[in-house]
Amino acid sequence: MEHMNHRPLRIAILVAACLIIGRYVATAQSTSDVAIVVHPDVPVDNLSLAELRKIFMGDRQFWSSNLRVTLLVRAPVARERDVVLKTIYQMTEAQFRQYWIGKVFRAEAASGPKIVYSNDMATELVAGIPGSIAFVDASQVPKNVKVLKANGILPGEQGYPLH
Amino acid sequence: MRNQWKQVGLLLLGMPLVAGAQRTDPVSQSELIQELLTRVQKLESRVEELESQSSASRPTTPVMLASVTTTMPMGTAMNPPPLSAQAPANTQGPIPEMQPTYPSLRLAGFSDFNFSGADQRGSRSGFTEGQFALHLTSALSSKVNFFGEVTATARPDAGMGTPIPATGFNFEVERSIIRFEQSDHFKASFGRYHTPINWWNTAFHHGQWLQTSISRPEMTQFGGRFIPVHFVGGLAEGTVPLGGLNLNYNAGLGNGRGSVISRAGDAGDNNNHRAWLVNLFAKPDRLFGLRIGGSVYRDKITLASAREFREWITSGHIVWQKENPEVIAEFANVNHQEVGRENTFNSQAYYIQVAYRLPWFENLWKPYYRFEYIHIPRSDAVFQGVPNLTGSVLGFRYDLSSFAAIKAEYRNQRRPGQPRVNGGFLQTSFTF
Repeated sequence: MEHMNHRPLRIAILVAACLIIGRYVATAQSTSDVAIVVHPDVPVDNLSLAELRKIFMGDRQFWSSNLRVTLLVRAPVARERDVVLKTIYQMTEAQFRQYWIGKVFRAEAASGPKIVYSNDMATELVAGIPGSIAFVDASQVPKNVKVLKANGILPGEQGYPLH
Repeated sequence: MRNQWKQVGLLLLGMPLVAGAQRTDPVSQSELIQELLTRVQKLESRVEELESQSSASRPTTPVMLASVTTTMPMGTAMNPPPLSAQAPANTQGPIPEMQPTYPSLRLAGFSDFNFSGADQRGSRSGFTEGQFALHLTSALSSKVNFFGEVTATARPDAGMGTPIPATGFNFEVERSIIRFEQSDHFKASFGRYHTPINWWNTAFHHGQWLQTSISRPEMTQFGGRFIPVHFVGGLAEGTVPLGGLNLNYNAGLGNGRGSVISRAGDAGDNNNHRAWLVNLFAKPDRLFGLRIGGSVYRDKITLASAREFREWITSGHIVWQKENPEVIAEFANVNHQEVGRENTFNSQAYYIQVAYRLPWFENLWKPYYRFEYIHIPRSDAVFQGVPNLTGSVLGFRYDLSSFAAIKAEYRNQRRPGQPRVNGGFLQTSFTF
């Protein structure tokens, strides 16, 4: 009987512990790094933030003369998109849209980035489209894509710029 | 041990019930656990049912890239993705829909409507329909693209004239460019361009919505004569990283100005001397947002009167492309020398525009100011009839949405021998 009386207390402690751990995990996920992933045939392993900016702004459109860059960008509201807009583009959502409309209108690019709706979709397309590049949550990177270093740093390492 | 973890899991699932009920009775606890176990079993069977349905309905080619590629230039989601694209599919091998199709025509448009009023003698206030601009892009292969821009402009003489009255709108092919892209370092193209010898002319084209202000600076006005707005010929262009300087170049050869100097030689050059241009600009990595550059343009002009002039245009620009602040400054000097004579005439024009996207009210408001100046020697026969100008433009832009804006502008202009003119302008401009 005495054993039974302690049971609610044990349960309460367990629940509290689970809540604390769950909250910690959620916080860790919400601040996890954003990885830059490319098709395995892309002849690059590391890009500086300035080089990333040139690629994502459509100023650099070729990896090599035989391999064109294909940009894959998450749809609005995704955290990964917010990180890239803030860090790489340094633009608001409206400025980003206007930028690409202007870019295509100036005949500087034939089309804007292609839209992907999830990290899974992004990595799946990156694995399938030669020359493609996308940004995804670093915790959801499959093995069939290449993760680029940014400023010489991999996601998860100290000083990684995209998070 | 295993049962304990099961209990913890069940308790987490049923936490709201636990919190709500606050039961401490052991009998109630076991009832609660039993209840939760029943719910879990129901949920598990439901999940199995859904998973079997999903695998049965999954297509053999799970990703439909076609829905991804048909997006607007700015990359916004136009349509929700198909369910198969949203679902993480374990695919192996190439996906057929990933192959691009050629040609792939995309269409975008710009237009605007205006209201204006000025204290200039003889002017009338009222509404005007702005240009209706259509922009077409089409990839013809992985390295060949076509760009086109056509406009319809309302004619003030619509319905007048005999025997055939003028149409309501003037149709014009503004740009038509076919470009071969070898790499970032070298791209070659042919067609009709907006002459790349100053910044505004190649930044905004006929998309009024893209530019901050209602009006273009006077030196780059469409139909204006100060600089040749259009260029028919060929261009080589590219980018060289050059240690983070990102040097871009354009080198072109074309027909130059026609006998009516505001027009390019669309149907052929009016003399045997091609115009050429070189345009260089840098976008340094260290100062993201800065663009600085300059151009030279050389042509031989044959006027309708058969008088011939050599034309040298030198220009420079410095632009801070961010909006906090936005700064655009351009200068151009146009040198004319009549063939066989020694006299030269130098005309100058410049403007500086400053704008700032206010951080309040959801970043929707952007006030701006522009000062512009044009000086033309009276004896320059090529620019006869082009007036000098000193003017200011003060206004604000309010973004109604990501694709539409309202602008209000006050203009103050002074030309030699004429009274100062004050005008008010309203515009709604948009892209579609």
